[in-house]
Amino acid sequence: MAEIRRRRRSIFDFISDYMEELGERALAERPSWDIRSCCIEPLCSVFVAADEVVVTADLPNTKPDTIKVEPIAPDTLEIRAEMKRKIRFEEFGITHRKGEFQYFLCQTRIPVPVDTKRLRTQYKRGILEVHLPRKKGVRIRVQ
Amino acid sequence: MSEPVKIVEKKVAPKNALMLYGLPDVGLVGLIATSHIISQLKMDEISYVDSELLPPIVVLHDGLPYAPLRIFANSNLIITFSEAAIPAKAVPPIMRKLVEWGQAKNVKLMVSMGGMPVQDRQDLTEVKVYGAASNPSLLKTLSEKGIEIMRGGFMVGPYALLMRYCADRNIPAIALLAQSFYNYPDPEAAAATLKEFSKITGINIDVSHLRESGEEIRLRARDVMKRTEQELNRMKKTQEYDLPLYV
Repeated sequence: MAEIRRRRRSIFDFISDYMEELGERALAERPSWDIRSCCIEPLCSVFVAADEVVVTADLPNTKPDTIKVEPIAPDTLEIRAEMKRKIRFEEFGITHRKGEFQYFLCQTRIPVPVDTKRLRTQYKRGILEVHLPRKKGVRIRVQ
Repeated sequence: MSEPVKIVEKKVAPKNALMLYGLPDVGLVGLIATSHIISQLKMDEISYVDSELLPPIVVLHDGLPYAPLRIFANSNLIITFSEAAIPAKAVPPIMRKLVEWGQAKNVKLMVSMGGMPVQDRQDLTEVKVYGAASNPSLLKTLSEKGIEIMRGGFMVGPYALLMRYCADRNIPAIALLAQSFYNYPDPEAAAATLKEFSKITGINIDVSHLRESGEEIRLRARDVMKRTEQELNRMKKTQEYDLPLYV
């Protein structure tokens, strides 16, 4: 039993938990908006499939023709979109802050090598989906 | 040592009521659904949950402070609702306390409304709602009302514990879980669960606002969703995708 327990929580598990927590802290401990650039950060997620990486972003209240998806580095994708109307803090019941937002902006890290030249997008019911084919690795012939 | 979780009563709770849970979970389905019921039926706050296991947060409404995890009621309905994500470690003691409290109020049925994440959610025009129950006779009732039963698999999070604690104590409980996004607020899924809730309980809730203002709700719910996702990861919520081993 003790052996099973030891195997379940190896040092790598602890390191992985710690890294996860560090990543979460870095993401969580800043606001999801920026008054100077009038931007709100959308909710995003990255899914790594066998042959592609799928990045999605929740972009409600967006003008579809303003959505821009741009690879700004081999492993980073920038998503920018303009909202149908400006959003003010007052609309959220917040009166002690001033500012308005008109854009969604986020930069997403892609965890595996992808071919950004072949990216494909679709926007459906407020959700943007970006498909990025994964780069092929070295093929090993099995004897 | 003081109690880890306390329910502070401000007004008398109704007896023999239905008790609904709208706690932050995938797609914030239950949270959006119960928030909608509270405002539609103009329900009053009757109690709140106090615990050192919860983060030091108050929510200001018109300048006045409120606990994020509160209980609302009218004469036949009690709703537990949280405006902030509940830390994964606080979920078991809080759920146990809420179930005990509900039992002391002779609650006749506990109902949790939530989401069941599906990968192709944005391709679904019709959202399906699945049901689970704490005893076989309730499962039969759900089937008779046309709700498909979740026959196998894992449930993870507050609603999983609610079902278990209720089954242990012989308290009738059901869960209504709509196909939903995992980490994006899903008002459409909330509307679908409310439709099934109305079918089962006979309490009619107009969901047109949820459908018409879906985009606005998604925009407002962004930050709660983000914090909730972090707690869902700590709970290992993705275990719901796992295939169980039945030998």
